[in-house]
Amino acid sequence: MRDYDCIVIGGGHAGIEASSAAARTGLSTLLITQSLDAIGRLSCNPAIGGLAKGNLVREIDALGGVMGQLIDSSMIQYRILNRRRGPAVQAPRAQADKFTYSRNAKELLEHTKGLDLFMDTVTDLIEENGSVIGVVTERGWRISARTVVLTTGTFMNGRIFIGEWDAPCGRLGEGAAIGLGDNLRRLGFDVGRLKTGTPARVLRSSLDFDELEVQKGDEEMLPFSFDYDCIDRPQLDCYITWTNEETHRIIRENMHRSPLYGGKIVGRGPRYCPSIEDKVVRFPDRDRHQIFVEPEGINSEEMYLNGLSSSLPEEVQHRFIRTLPGLKHCQIMRPAYAVEYDYLNPMDLYPTLESKRLRNLYVAGQTNGTSGYEEAACQGLVAGLNASLRVRGEEPLVLRRDEAYIGVLIDDLVTKGTKEPYRMFTSRAEYRLSLRHDNADLRLTRTGYEKGLAGEEKLARLEDKIRSMSDLRQSLAGIKERGKNALQLLKEPEVTMDALVSAHPCLSGYSRAVRDEVELDIKYEGYLRRQDEEIASLRRREEMAIPPDFDYDSLAGLSSEGREKLKQVRPLTVAQAGRISGLRVSDTALLMMAVKGLK
Amino acid sequence: MFDYTTDIPIYALATARAPSALAVTRTSGKNSITLLSKAFSSPGRLIAAADKSLLHGYLRDDDGSDIDEVVLAVYREGSGYTGEEAVEISTHGSLAVIDRLSRRLEELGFRPASKGEFTFRAFMHGRMDLTQAEAVEEIVNSKCESAQERALGRLEGRLRGRLESIRASLLDILASIEVQLDYAEDEILEDWVFPDGEISSICAELRRLVESYSASRIQRDGAKVVLAGPANAGKSSLFNHLVKEERAIVSPVAGTTRDYIEAWIDLSGLPVHLYDTAGLRESGDEVEGEGMRRSRALMEDADLVVYLTDPDNPDVPADLDTDRTLVVFSKSDIEHRATSLSFSSVTGEGIGELVNAIRQRIGSVLLPGDDMVIDSRRQKEGLERCLACLEAARSNRGQSADIMALFFQGALEELALLTGEVTNEELLDTLFSKFCLGK
Repeated sequence: MRDYDCIVIGGGHAGIEASSAAARTGLSTLLITQSLDAIGRLSCNPAIGGLAKGNLVREIDALGGVMGQLIDSSMIQYRILNRRRGPAVQAPRAQADKFTYSRNAKELLEHTKGLDLFMDTVTDLIEENGSVIGVVTERGWRISARTVVLTTGTFMNGRIFIGEWDAPCGRLGEGAAIGLGDNLRRLGFDVGRLKTGTPARVLRSSLDFDELEVQKGDEEMLPFSFDYDCIDRPQLDCYITWTNEETHRIIRENMHRSPLYGGKIVGRGPRYCPSIEDKVVRFPDRDRHQIFVEPEGINSEEMYLNGLSSSLPEEVQHRFIRTLPGLKHCQIMRPAYAVEYDYLNPMDLYPTLESKRLRNLYVAGQTNGTSGYEEAACQGLVAGLNASLRVRGEEPLVLRRDEAYIGVLIDDLVTKGTKEPYRMFTSRAEYRLSLRHDNADLRLTRTGYEKGLAGEEKLARLEDKIRSMSDLRQSLAGIKERGKNALQLLKEPEVTMDALVSAHPCLSGYSRAVRDEVELDIKYEGYLRRQDEEIASLRRREEMAIPPDFDYDSLAGLSSEGREKLKQVRPLTVAQAGRISGLRVSDTALLMMAVKGLK
Repeated sequence: MFDYTTDIPIYALATARAPSALAVTRTSGKNSITLLSKAFSSPGRLIAAADKSLLHGYLRDDDGSDIDEVVLAVYREGSGYTGEEAVEISTHGSLAVIDRLSRRLEELGFRPASKGEFTFRAFMHGRMDLTQAEAVEEIVNSKCESAQERALGRLEGRLRGRLESIRASLLDILASIEVQLDYAEDEILEDWVFPDGEISSICAELRRLVESYSASRIQRDGAKVVLAGPANAGKSSLFNHLVKEERAIVSPVAGTTRDYIEAWIDLSGLPVHLYDTAGLRESGDEVEGEGMRRSRALMEDADLVVYLTDPDNPDVPADLDTDRTLVVFSKSDIEHRATSLSFSSVTGEGIGELVNAIRQRIGSVLLPGDDMVIDSRRQKEGLERCLACLEAARSNRGQSADIMALFFQGALEELALLTGEVTNEELLDTLFSKFCLGK
């Protein structure tokens, strides 16, 4: 078989972004997936975005990735979350038609120039002199490549559990990828197990809708992508119901039948997304838990029971689900299940997502211990783009913590590792006030353009927006009330841009995005300025590069724990070194001097 | 939290912290000159000063009163010890001046340097006349206040427990805001409510701790006792008696501006810093007016004011803080009042009772009734800044949750000096243990 610049293993959200980014920046790319019918599946909840995650999607789009377009063309409900809780932390979330999302993803890849799709299972990597040079597949193909991106999701040695039953699968009904995990162990990779779960899907026509509370989306649907201003999609409702004492009683009585409590599952699950068993055990005082009933697609009968993930036996699931109002007569179409899978310790990666063990191997997504479509996709983009930059002989892309949630996510993973599936939270970002979803283009599009991923058109739209924002500021400076100009007035909490626009028709020509942007910039100016000095000092440290092969053993004065930690993480900058958990300030100072001495 | 950096303005006392003729305080970092000019008597001259030049003038407190007459050695970037913009400040070597100066420098935006930090910077800026080894050694020896255990290790029993519980309360509050920011309103149905009662009790606790500082400071640095009163009431005579009577550790040195005198005495085992001030009276004379303003400043800072009245001016000023004031009737040889303290400058009569009274009054500050005292000014100021963050939170309570989080993050960062930093993991642990989350 022919050889490629880049082979991407896996067709999930990380694999989609990785293969698309590599191919669109000029690499001959091959995506190998176990099933061409399963590209871009939303294996769990039928939604994209949410708090911090919505910011990730918009960052992906700003850099030139595809997730924004995919959700824009498949959404069936849209909401801006947490409007009341502060503009800096509000974020968009959309319910998706899963089937449309997945079909669009496949078609998008099929039509990507330079990208081949191939159905097979990769079982081994070919290594030569510390570099990966190709892959071996189940059906015996040996395909060579200059770079490889590994995005196996829950499939590497995946095993699903429903009560006493278990099977080697990555998703219900889809076989696990067997072989690769063991071969990576043999190559010396630090392989661990993580666990996640998904709730049951029930038949729409079996629900008693008059017992469910309706949850509507926002009236106005806005795109995730920065490439257009509006979208036109059908809108569907979601529904809310609650568990009750009876539900909890059934769960408690059958707890011993859960593979989690029986010790069959060793992998750690996410605390932020617990199974209903976990909730009942850990919060015994709660007499009810909220459950969201969400459509999986426009014409689909499947409804997703958000909040009820479980690994109890199916007959127990039947019983406890039917205790919920609205679900008394419901018919389960797919049962809830837990899945346990291999992941690779992300501390074995550089911030470029390249492996420290095997040159030219990049790893992204759930394989790195994360959870969530958005978390996977953004890593896929960075991994694919960095593979491309490697082949093209250019500087890699490493985003800083003060410029993107993506930067925070990757830095956390490679510097601190993770013990449970890692999900993005706004509280992980020190500078979240500046990492708003609406300004992702201002933060990242130029970088995406310079790295060859974002196109001319995207850049032109950014420049228009910047120009328009500066025009608006000028117009505001010209408006005077109470002896102040409108820029000063907007700093006052009671004064809003909307009010100014209705009082001054000359402002109505500016788009909503531009108006919001300027308003938020002004409102947060005082708080942002306080961060500026801190960010400036952080940037200076980010510029102090440490060679990946730095000899820590010969650096005098380091504490011995510090030396071990530094050797494990091999930070690329002084700033990253400073973030290693428990590294002493004095060790960082010594490292700074050593790095300085290298020049 | 503390970190070795370059460029951020720092300061350190370069000479020993002991009464002496001169003291030198060094600063280094970007904008050192501009920052310092805000407190200098001729800011324009300082800003325009040439590299390696000396300037004479006065450094002033925020209220305009002189801290001391100083000589500044100005170094432009690339020329001083560290290679950064720097100013070396020579002052008189009085502890009061040294302390006031460092407080002022912190107000201006300088942070206290850590051990080895000047040498570290010198190395980082390529001042190669220093060996790297020298800097390495200093840093390794300092093993500075990075670790939480170290910060806590200095604290004892109940104090440590109290601080840990304040930290835990603040962490809980922050987690209750963060959960609002990391989960949507359809999952966390209740809006965040400002925890008024809890914040009030944390603030009260912090205030108590801040106050405990004066007790421990007195034990270490001595109590500040200021003699005040109308001119001619006999203050200087009392001063001389006290210095003579008790063992003087340091002979009286002239105050920096010659309008007060200070001495360091051992008052039967209690270290006391004694000040004799200019007399208080209405005066049209400008020089005296300035002297009186300084007297007032000293009195405000004092642990105890010994206020001498005389028969001509028997009334005590109404604005004196009675908790910290001991009123003494002077010239008891002329007019003797029973039941009150009095002192005769001619015979020295009454000095014994007065010494006892001073000891008693300061002793009551010294023993606040428990062991919860903090002993370093940096810690005290950390607590004060923590308190300020919480006050700011209170006055901004109407703001959205993303802004409110900043105040509590700030409060925890200030507390970190004593209790160690809060990591994101710890915050998430708190959040997940408090709230049942996840669809």
